[in-house]
Amino acid sequence: MNKSRRVLDKHAGSLSCALGLVVIIGLYALRQPLILSPFGIASLANVSVALALAAVGQTAVLLVAGLDLSIGAEITLVNCFAATTMSAGAFGIAWVVAASLLIGLAMGFLNGVVVAYGRVEPLIATFCTSFIFAGAALIILPRPGGSIPDGFAGALTGSWGPLPFSLVLLAGVVALVWLPVFTSRLGRYIVAVGDDASSARLSGLPLQRVELASYMLAGFFAAVAALFLAAETTSGDPSIGGIYTLNSLAAAVLGGVALTGGRGTVLGPILGSFVLSIILNALGVFNVSAFWQDFIEGLVLMVVLGLGGLRVLRADSWLALLRQ
Amino acid sequence: MTSAVPPEGEAATPLLARFSPRTQRVLLSYVILLAIYVCCVAVSRDFLTWSTMRLQLVQATFIGLITIGETFAILIGQIDLSVPWTITLSAVLGTNLSALYGHQWVAFAVVILIGGAVGLLNTLGVYVLRVHSLIWTLSVNLLLQGVALIYTNAVAPTTHIPALARFLALGSVSGVPMAFVVWAFFSALTILALTRFRFGRYIYAIGNRQTTALLSGVPLGRVHALVFVLSGLGAAFVGLMLSGYSSQAYLGMGNDYLLPPIAAVVIGGTRLSGGDGGYFGSIAGALTVVFLQAMLITLNVSEGSRQVVFGAILLSLAFLFLKRGR
Repeated sequence: MNKSRRVLDKHAGSLSCALGLVVIIGLYALRQPLILSPFGIASLANVSVALALAAVGQTAVLLVAGLDLSIGAEITLVNCFAATTMSAGAFGIAWVVAASLLIGLAMGFLNGVVVAYGRVEPLIATFCTSFIFAGAALIILPRPGGSIPDGFAGALTGSWGPLPFSLVLLAGVVALVWLPVFTSRLGRYIVAVGDDASSARLSGLPLQRVELASYMLAGFFAAVAALFLAAETTSGDPSIGGIYTLNSLAAAVLGGVALTGGRGTVLGPILGSFVLSIILNALGVFNVSAFWQDFIEGLVLMVVLGLGGLRVLRADSWLALLRQ
Repeated sequence: MTSAVPPEGEAATPLLARFSPRTQRVLLSYVILLAIYVCCVAVSRDFLTWSTMRLQLVQATFIGLITIGETFAILIGQIDLSVPWTITLSAVLGTNLSALYGHQWVAFAVVILIGGAVGLLNTLGVYVLRVHSLIWTLSVNLLLQGVALIYTNAVAPTTHIPALARFLALGSVSGVPMAFVVWAFFSALTILALTRFRFGRYIYAIGNRQTTALLSGVPLGRVHALVFVLSGLGAAFVGLMLSGYSSQAYLGMGNDYLLPPIAAVVIGGTRLSGGDGGYFGSIAGALTVVFLQAMLITLNVSEGSRQVVFGAILLSLAFLFLKRGR
């Protein structure tokens, strides 16, 4: 396989998502031209960025052949924490942001310790911790409420001409956290461990520390997503994170990340998140009743996942397929 | 005379090591069940009375019946997370349609239709299109939630519950709860199927190594379809029983049945990677989960603390006993 073919293969998910995104925004604009105005672009970005951050976090774990089913609960806990503690003024905002990120890292640390050192299956481990995090969120904030100062909300959801701050936040976090990690040795280790854990161990890679780091990355991104959601809704909600577990997985898969680990980019899941969020957001514009929302969301997910599965039809035989 | 004395090393073999790893894990799951039960009794003496135990047995039946399909699915290396809204949809549609057509057998037809349809839909995604079962079945769950919402938006829910559903959930046969009889019957059938039928051999073959199973002539597609249809049927049937149990069918009634059956399978000593385990342990797992939930309810703590404790206990069980291989 030559180099260009390899690059194409690696970015197939991102490319198809980008294509899908153009089509969807095009259809949306035909119906509602205002969407291409600065205000429209900002609103599209605002509904998508939380999922994009969650999907990036999920990708960090998927790359090491793990899984984080607690990502929704992590978002919920940080969201409730921020909404109950944040007060107006630079100091009131700054310490809550710092504490939120630390909580995210701590939750990721717990997941990572249980999975990497406790040797518990990621599926069951993060399923269990999701109960712990969601329960803790319910203790902090039993019913929707709390408040977020306008200054913080405006700083994350406003826009600067046609450039929404939410996109700047997303790009900033990816550029300052994801790229340094994944261009460093740690990033190569994560991909190596996810690709083939036993070879990685035989090569002397610190398997457990690498796994731990990837779960902490996921926790960090979940915390950023939660802070953004808090700014967007200007309140806290103990059920806000629920949908992000499935949707972050779906966005990552859409963006070409393999659930079996070791394969994926960061751009793919981000574009995948935009595709998913904008499709769901567009339902209202196309006069779809709210009662149909879940049905269509499920259907969209299944169609999209199924399309990814169509490569099955290209395989020569079942044997070749199972060996992949 | 000396020959009758066993060699030193053999005499030192601990009792537990004489069992196979799988038997050890099943034994362990019953030890866990016993420990949780003792905790329950320590919290409240009510757990020694038959009326409380009867209630727990009925609850365990609901989880136990779902666990049958979940055990099959996990044994072939997949998972079925479409259970919650299969339960709700089957309960809502079953009770409404049987009230509409005035015959309780309509509810059973609905159970079979929904269970079969969900199972085939799951097979389509997981087996034909090869999407990861975790994410596909969650999406199917969302789709079913949508169908239930659309349906209940158009039709008011009925309180007219088929008498047979009520009998299955609340009735007794000479003192033994009917639900428990149903569970015992299907448990026996499941254990028989896994240990004696060809179906069971196929399941373990697929779970251990799919390529080898394929080359050995195991009908992969049919086994996958059967597993998912059985899982769907189990969930749909539990939906009908639940509507009889609570005398109504309402949106979200299945939401508490996503994690407990999986926890039951895992506590029962079945490996999530597939191919290793069985249903006998899952029975202990189902009872453990139910006792755990009942204990937390008895302790009368807030919903949030209950979730934290439930998650923490499950996590420590998994941490202590269910380490994955290296």
